[in-house]
Amino acid sequence: MRQEVAVKVTVNGEARERRVESRMLLVDFLRDELGLTGTHIGCDTGHCGACTVMLNGVPVKSCLLLAAQANNSNVETIEGVARNGKLHPVQEAFLEENALQCGFCTPGMILSTLFLLRRNPNPSDLEIRNGIEGNLCRCTGYLNILKAVKTAAAKMSQKGR
Amino acid sequence: MLSSKEEAKILAGGQSLLSLMKLRLAAPKTLIDINGIAELSHIAEKDGSIVIGSMTRHDQLAESVIIRTKVPLLADAASLIADQQVRNRGTIGGSLVHADSGADLPTACKALGANLTAVGPGGPRSIAVEDFFRDYFTTSLEAGEIVTEIRIPIPPPRSGGSHLKLTKGHNDFAIVAVAAQLSFNDEFVCRKAEVVLGGVASTPVHARETERSLTNRELDHNLIGDAARKAAEGLNPGTDVRASAEYRIKMTRTLTSRAIQLAVQRIHGSH
Repeated sequence: MRQEVAVKVTVNGEARERRVESRMLLVDFLRDELGLTGTHIGCDTGHCGACTVMLNGVPVKSCLLLAAQANNSNVETIEGVARNGKLHPVQEAFLEENALQCGFCTPGMILSTLFLLRRNPNPSDLEIRNGIEGNLCRCTGYLNILKAVKTAAAKMSQKGR
Repeated sequence: MLSSKEEAKILAGGQSLLSLMKLRLAAPKTLIDINGIAELSHIAEKDGSIVIGSMTRHDQLAESVIIRTKVPLLADAASLIADQQVRNRGTIGGSLVHADSGADLPTACKALGANLTAVGPGGPRSIAVEDFFRDYFTTSLEAGEIVTEIRIPIPPPRSGGSHLKLTKGHNDFAIVAVAAQLSFNDEFVCRKAEVVLGGVASTPVHARETERSLTNRELDHNLIGDAARKAAEGLNPGTDVRASAEYRIKMTRTLTSRAIQLAVQRIHGSH
């Protein structure tokens, strides 16, 4: 039974509205309706975290959320992380530490890192591992990702961001 | 709405339900999203209990000062669920109603003697957690009812608890999980012991022999070891992709001993 619902979402600061099938997932809404393909679909089973986005300021897996559930919410995707053409310190750190190989997991990793560092500006190795445990990297580049999170923490505490 | 729509289901955090729907293991015709009901999300102390709204997220439980100080067992259990993103969405009510025997909150809530408030067309009723879990993914909740609140009696002074689990990979569903909640008297004699096992039966189960061995005793290392060895008595756990039955039994004993020791340490630590 096809049923449509109106979905109004503020995505990266911009109000967006579409009528979509009620069963559409948020990740498909972002990618197919809004063209924001930086949010990836890795496993589609809620394990890999490639589809991580911020929903009202907290990271969630957008493949485990219906688009209709994001109605009247604020969503931030990887496309909204850099500002005015300038990379966020977390993005700079991932670049500098070579914390990506194929890059598929990177958008999710960066959003999880943003949340982790907001909550805990100076995390220990274990806290970093726990913070990004919901994001899988199949290139197994975790060591450089850990380094990048530390570098990002240092950059952000210097800048007071 | 729940009773008037055909094959309707409540959508709480959706971290289990949407996965089941993708696998076509669940195919509700209607979903009723209750995420907009702010009144169902709260943690407060009231009349000697901690009252938790059913839509309280796992992350809120794990971070709550009330939960961490009064019932650390529950904070432990919440923080061991899946990962940050799932903890940001998953809810205590959803986890209890889903009733996966390897999930953390059913096991933890059973050890804490929780009471659930269910509301249906006939009004609210209270369900003791002991009467709630019936079988794999089956509870005593009736059609048309939803869980609105979970009440946890605040343990008396000289109480301590812990929740440990063994998983394949970090923070997966449990091969075995153990929740231990102990209360001592002024002489540090154990007056009450709740030891509940998850992942080893169709519902969370009490390790009754272990509880009996601890009650009215002063606990030392040897006594705890002996009591924990009885934890698997009467159990007939299954073999599945996570572990064999034999491994589950052995690990039940090991983890029970560790959980009791941590609970005891916490009692002493609070004095």
